[in-house]
Amino acid sequence: MDFRFSPDEEKFKQEVYNFFIREQEIVNEARKEWGSGLGFGPYCWEILKKIGSKGWLCPTWPKEYGGLELSYMYRYIIMEQMQYFINIYSTVGAGMAGPIILRHGGEKQKREYLPKIAKGEIEFALGYTEPDAGSDLAAISIKAEEKEDYFVINGSKLFNTRAHYAQYHWLGARTEEIDSKKKYKGISLFIIDLKTPGIAITPIWTVGGTRTNEVFYGDVYVPKEALVGEKNRGFYYILEALNYERLSTVAGRERDFQELLSYVKEKGFGKDVLTRQRLAEIAIDIESAKLFALRVAAMLDKNQIPNHEASMLKMVVAETEQSMVQTAMQIFGSYGQLRRGSKWAPLDGKFEVMYRDSVERLITRGTSEIIKNIIAQRGLGLPRG
Amino acid sequence: MDFTFSQSEKLIKDSAREFLEKEAIDISRQVEENEEGCLLELWQKMAHLGWMGIMLPEKYGGFAGNFLELILILEETGRALVPGPLIATVCSGLSILKYGNEGQRKEFLPRIAEGKLILSTAFIEAGSTTDKNRKISLNNGDYILSGTRLFVHGARVADWFIYKTENGKGKTLFLIDAKSHGIKCSVLESIAPDRIYEVVFDKVKVPKKNILGKRENGSRVAREIEEWGALCESAFILGFLQRVLDITVKHAKRREQFGRPIGSFQAIQHQCADMATEIDKVKFLTYQAAWKLSEQVPATKEISMAKARASDISRSICLLGIKIHGGIGLSEEHDMALYFRRAKMSEIAFGDGDFHREIIAQQLGL
Repeated sequence: MDFRFSPDEEKFKQEVYNFFIREQEIVNEARKEWGSGLGFGPYCWEILKKIGSKGWLCPTWPKEYGGLELSYMYRYIIMEQMQYFINIYSTVGAGMAGPIILRHGGEKQKREYLPKIAKGEIEFALGYTEPDAGSDLAAISIKAEEKEDYFVINGSKLFNTRAHYAQYHWLGARTEEIDSKKKYKGISLFIIDLKTPGIAITPIWTVGGTRTNEVFYGDVYVPKEALVGEKNRGFYYILEALNYERLSTVAGRERDFQELLSYVKEKGFGKDVLTRQRLAEIAIDIESAKLFALRVAAMLDKNQIPNHEASMLKMVVAETEQSMVQTAMQIFGSYGQLRRGSKWAPLDGKFEVMYRDSVERLITRGTSEIIKNIIAQRGLGLPRG
Repeated sequence: MDFTFSQSEKLIKDSAREFLEKEAIDISRQVEENEEGCLLELWQKMAHLGWMGIMLPEKYGGFAGNFLELILILEETGRALVPGPLIATVCSGLSILKYGNEGQRKEFLPRIAEGKLILSTAFIEAGSTTDKNRKISLNNGDYILSGTRLFVHGARVADWFIYKTENGKGKTLFLIDAKSHGIKCSVLESIAPDRIYEVVFDKVKVPKKNILGKRENGSRVAREIEEWGALCESAFILGFLQRVLDITVKHAKRREQFGRPIGSFQAIQHQCADMATEIDKVKFLTYQAAWKLSEQVPATKEISMAKARASDISRSICLLGIKIHGGIGLSEEHDMALYFRRAKMSEIAFGDGDFHREIIAQQLGL
């Protein structure tokens, strides 16, 4: 066992940190922009391109596709700093679409998309969820019908968050109707240019003030080369990616916790026994989550497959955030409910925003309940119901 | 970063488990029936394996190992619920190594390593401020000590005690021979299978040279012993909780109700998943703290994080274990009952969750 970064990793961490300090101006604007709930604006794109130009968005990828061929621990180190400074710790392209293209895409797709993803020039909107396909992803029903030399797509997607500024849709669609329980055998993955005629995007606003979208496909014609890998293998690719690409970090929460601590000290709330107990509990939660994150990165570097371990990490990160925002609100008392801009709002209402916004983390990328199924069935070997 | 065991770590852990699975079957039930609270035969065998001296330098008969290795062994003793003052002896030995003088080191350490000397800590005063017996005086250069100490582990088999007492300006630690005139031990019947004792010290004569560390330093040394103890106890808890999870999952796979294994129900699965997640948290908090100590890095906050969480889940996980076992889990004959009872003792030992969260709060600058 070893709980420290190697000297090279330490050096790299410092290098990444220095980069963000150097870019402080854009960093601050980007964080503000992301915090508005509208997604990437000019500053986010600018900082992502700068990070990308260093090769840091996809550091584990082969050099020929824009990577640096570094270990996952390096990717983890970058994610920590990204989340700490701009709250964005990865793009969908770098974290979800890219790795599948890398493993299963054709050479032409790889050359076309991977370097742009790595450079931070393009983004994908995740196109999995539908009105009737949430946790049960195999129920995807949007239809991609294969014709002579194209696919024609009809149907709709829900809560596809980055669709209003991403250039591409990472679409999971049904390519074969299957009546049995094996619905997952008829799903394929596509890369869709979101400017393709027939696609309509309408906004949905979350309780956290973030824009997400409903995406409609009406007779959308896409070329055959939009298909990723083999037809009807999409669900397998999605599951496989879950094994490899679920690094996460609590660096942003550590930052928020430090802010909360400073506030408590400044206001003299730190003598209260209950407050001390609660804050100590959050510190334990954050430390545990951090160790889970490091474990997943370390496993990936040993070519082990962090399946339920990555699920555990996702759940614990989301739940740690919940306990922190709730604790902060409890400490603030009545003041906690005030919104940003009120002269009475503690820390300019930051935790009021987080209180609403953080709920999303409990739902997306696997609800805690789905994750517990995974831990129980894959981690502990309990039988499926 | 490496979250897997090195070859030697794995060897230590595996051989400890193998040994205990052979030599310590039902050990806690056996001990619960006897007054000594410890099986000296097993103690000797553990000493032969080098467990008592694992962290002591070779010149004192030890193995010059590190805290992480000790923790891996204690995790296995927790899994097997080995009773007796192992943690007390090891941590006391460490304090002699760090704060004792050369004479004390030579006298105690080799015998601890050989398993021939059992040391226990007598720190907790009865009704701390109201103990009317408490006295400390000097007579011809010897100290005369009186006082009652509670919750002393392994007092019946201990050869020596580390006794903590107020000296008027602070605390002092004394090494006291258990055979000294004026010492009386009696068993405190407790919730757990392990034996704990009341030890009454009545005008016990202790030579000046038996002060451990500096006279005015007692609090600090005692705190460090308790810090090590908290980490050791976390490892012990980790060990038995992993076994609780193992037997619970096994039961959930086998036990059928409504025509299917109960482990196929989500209500049961989610409880098992919670158990596994919380245990993993304690695992890495504990290993990280032990690793830090092995690297000579202070780990006060990390140890308290491990013990606070270990204490809290020692109860909650045993409760889930019993619930999932259902009726059979309530049976006193079932291992679950043993774990459930022992969990309470471990939760309290060296500070419970609230106690350690307060330390964390201080470490956070609150």
